[in-house]
Amino acid sequence: MKKLHSLALIGLPLALALSACGTSETTDDAKSGDNAGGPVSITDSRGEKIELDSPATRVVSLEWMQTEALVSLGVMPVAHADGDAYNTWVANAQVDDSVKDVGKRAEPSFTEIMKADPELVIADSTSPEAIVKQLEDKDVPVLVLDTADGTRQLDLMKENVKTIAEAVGKTDKADKIIGDLDASLDAGKKAIAESDAAGAKFAMADGWAEGATVTIRLFGEGSLMSDLAEGLGLKNAWTGEVDKEWGLGTTDPEGLTKLGDDVRFFYNSPVEAEDVFGDELAKNPIWNKLEFVTSDHLYPLEKGVWTFGGPVSAQEFVDQVVADLTK
Amino acid sequence: MTLRSLSGFLGLALVALAASAVHLTQGTSEIGLADLLDLAIGRGDQLTRDVFMGSRLPRLLAGVVVGLAVGVSGALLQSVTRNPLASPDTLAINGGAWFAATLVAAFGLSLPLIGQGSVAFAGGLVGAAVVLALSGGASGPARLVLAGSALALALGSMTGMLLLLFEEETQSLFAWGNGNLVQISMDAPVKGAVVVGVVVLVSLLLSRRLDLIALGDDAATSLGVNVRLIQLVAVLLSVLLAALAVTVAGPMGFIGLCAPVMARLSGRWINDVHKHRVLLPLSGMIGIVLVVLADVLMRLVPRGPFAPGVPTGVATTFFGAMVLVGVARTFRQGGTVPEAPSARSRTGSPFKFTVPLVTGLVVLLAGATVLGLLAGHGWSLMGDDRLLMGDVVNWLGGNSGNYVTYTLEERVPRLLAATFAGAALALAGCATQAVCRNPLAEPGLLGVTAGAGVGAITCIAFAGISALWLINISALIGAAVAFAIVYAVSWRGGLDSIRLVLVGVGVAAVGQALISFILISSSPYDTQLALTWLNGSTYGRTYEQVVPLIIVVLLGLPILLRHRNDLDVMALDDDTPRVLGLSLERTRLLLLVTAVVLTAASAAAIGLVVFTGLVAPHAARAIVGSRHIRVLPVAMLLGAILVSVADTLGRNVIAPDQVPAGMVTALIGTPYFVWLLWRSRA
Repeated sequence: MKKLHSLALIGLPLALALSACGTSETTDDAKSGDNAGGPVSITDSRGEKIELDSPATRVVSLEWMQTEALVSLGVMPVAHADGDAYNTWVANAQVDDSVKDVGKRAEPSFTEIMKADPELVIADSTSPEAIVKQLEDKDVPVLVLDTADGTRQLDLMKENVKTIAEAVGKTDKADKIIGDLDASLDAGKKAIAESDAAGAKFAMADGWAEGATVTIRLFGEGSLMSDLAEGLGLKNAWTGEVDKEWGLGTTDPEGLTKLGDDVRFFYNSPVEAEDVFGDELAKNPIWNKLEFVTSDHLYPLEKGVWTFGGPVSAQEFVDQVVADLTK
Repeated sequence: MTLRSLSGFLGLALVALAASAVHLTQGTSEIGLADLLDLAIGRGDQLTRDVFMGSRLPRLLAGVVVGLAVGVSGALLQSVTRNPLASPDTLAINGGAWFAATLVAAFGLSLPLIGQGSVAFAGGLVGAAVVLALSGGASGPARLVLAGSALALALGSMTGMLLLLFEEETQSLFAWGNGNLVQISMDAPVKGAVVVGVVVLVSLLLSRRLDLIALGDDAATSLGVNVRLIQLVAVLLSVLLAALAVTVAGPMGFIGLCAPVMARLSGRWINDVHKHRVLLPLSGMIGIVLVVLADVLMRLVPRGPFAPGVPTGVATTFFGAMVLVGVARTFRQGGTVPEAPSARSRTGSPFKFTVPLVTGLVVLLAGATVLGLLAGHGWSLMGDDRLLMGDVVNWLGGNSGNYVTYTLEERVPRLLAATFAGAALALAGCATQAVCRNPLAEPGLLGVTAGAGVGAITCIAFAGISALWLINISALIGAAVAFAIVYAVSWRGGLDSIRLVLVGVGVAAVGQALISFILISSSPYDTQLALTWLNGSTYGRTYEQVVPLIIVVLLGLPILLRHRNDLDVMALDDDTPRVLGLSLERTRLLLLVTAVVLTAASAAAIGLVVFTGLVAPHAARAIVGSRHIRVLPVAMLLGAILVSVADTLGRNVIAPDQVPAGMVTALIGTPYFVWLLWRSRA
């Protein structure tokens, strides 16, 4: 009996190994693509020079903001990270079914990225260093972008779109998108100045409720949403402390009393099922007495504005704010 | 009640009142002491009243409810199990409640409060029921904590996995999972207060019977107490209390462990602390004081944009664990400690031939390696990305094509890291379990793993460094510091093994609290990266990171093998080694340092992998008996196989997403461990 045991122990992996003999590879396929356009040379946020013989058409993006930028420029990425939830969050720059998922942003799969046979990989400065190194060891050009800087969020976003556009040969399209956004900001600014909301302040938050507890996150100065609202001539009412990269701060219902009067309060409800601001906070006496609640200056954003996104999300946000305030 | 007891209680009540008064003046608005005093004498304005009713009072009341509930819950559990380490944390009640809540959230369901309470209760109850079933009622205190800790680990891993996979749906849960007192309204704390009050009163009705049960099962039975029934009722009540606390504020770590311990220690000021009619309310009051004080401190200390989001449970854990360390320092070898492992330890081996066994394990490890090299998408050898042996041969010969080359170049170092980390952890577990003579003693329990985590997280969050080698060095330093603290604090003219473990548990919890604090307060958006690292990922590993680990394992094994006889003797008791003329403390230190280096090296290579150091030695002892000449190689191979297979599974089951290896080891290891405990029920 014992012998049998040992035999089985030895036999199993052996059988496993034998059944797995042979090779899986057939032939090496030729590298695809004669792309239009001449050579491209860009410097990324690390100061590395990325040289491409021609604008990239097979692009893999490892962060949503970059996926959004690519789609809005008319270049569907061949693969991107955290793909499963993207389409529910970014309404106006949807990816096709053809776009492969390469795993989570924190751990994108090297093998999956390589399988997509990319001409260019766009990573974020917070992407794992290991993946950038592994890709560059295989001579895959990696464009590393910095997507958060609380001192110039909007400008950085525009810059990133331009950089990406250069890499994929769509600079005209980028100029158009950014031009449209700037035009919307100007027009919106004028419209708001002539509306009832003239001189009003702005606040924006998202938040979560769990059990009986609640967390409120404010988009303070330095956040992309704040930069856009300022572009519309609004002033951010949240003066509490925010982080340096994203311009976000945390508070509780009591902390909202600091916003003061004459505030237009926008909120994004990140989880479909839970509307913290429209629903949960209605149970709170402080919330119910806040001036923007009593005077009905409370505006939910439509689903699908990625608040850390690119030009399409920014455009959508601007349109919604202007529509809400000039109603 | 004597005057002295009365003044003791009054003193405690005064502390609670003072803490509450300070607590009320704290908040995120400008409302301060003067406004509140105005309100008290009926002159306050509307804003002050709203802030008081909508924010300050609910938060205070939540703290009071949670403190009372968890304090009494812990006291009940400790009495019923006669175990000072029993608590909602160590009996998987909090783990079960949190897992259930996370599962519901992951499916995008949003439940009303009563629904969330029921889910938490169900989760906690399942946790407690499994633990109690495994330990056969309350017959074996050590088994109870063992089973509870194992289950809590597995539940924690599954929760972590859900948090990783459903990042958006579960974003709030990371903070909530650590206990958060910020309330939406008075609703929950008021309802909670009523229910908790009733449950506590019911518990008090059991006081007399609990007193009798404390005399021992036989004595209590002979006095006409239905021991099993009372134990069942007490456990149900304590689970209910813990679930209520979880619903109001999330799991408030360590208060349930700490409050009853402190209550028992207060015998100098208060009479009859061992009587439950005193012990239960006293534990509740101490619980209240601890939670409110922790919340006061929490709002005094942290600064920065995310300070208001830092959950109070982080502070209670920190605070509670410090108290535990202080208490543990005074601990002497006593009657109420968990007894030595009994997981079918035999001196003889059921396998007559250890050599064939080891050979078999080596072949199994080879099989695991082959599986790791070849298996692809969907984990099986049939999946999309699988490779074949010929591919590996081609690769070794330098003849492989692109696809095979980059796949294997990624897989091989990861596989090596997993294999050797498993071996290192198993060896470290063998050494610590023998030296500490405690089945729970694995490096994770001694605070070493958490120390490594603190080091790494500090590096990631504060210095903004993502270079792996720097993270690794910080992890090493953290592990060494944590161990040095544990060792220095537990040393009191000798090293009592129970004291060492208790201090270790405390320091581990302090480390965990620090990790959560740093994560939430400084870089809440790096939680994914940190969660991944904290759960033992082999992601992106290269040979430079793996080689040091391999060297450490190759050096560690001979050291431990040389001391195999010392390990055998130490596992018996404290006296035998002395009688045999063994220089106990020096050998202990040497063996423990070896274990620390092994743990730190594995943490540096693949992050924090729980459970392997606990399970592999147990399994090895179950197979070959307790002699270390056999246990060491067998445990090492088992550990290597476990982590290797866990990594392969984690990489492939939900590809292209990946589950960190440490989560999988907990998932694989727990059923085995549960089975082990089940099989060896008394």
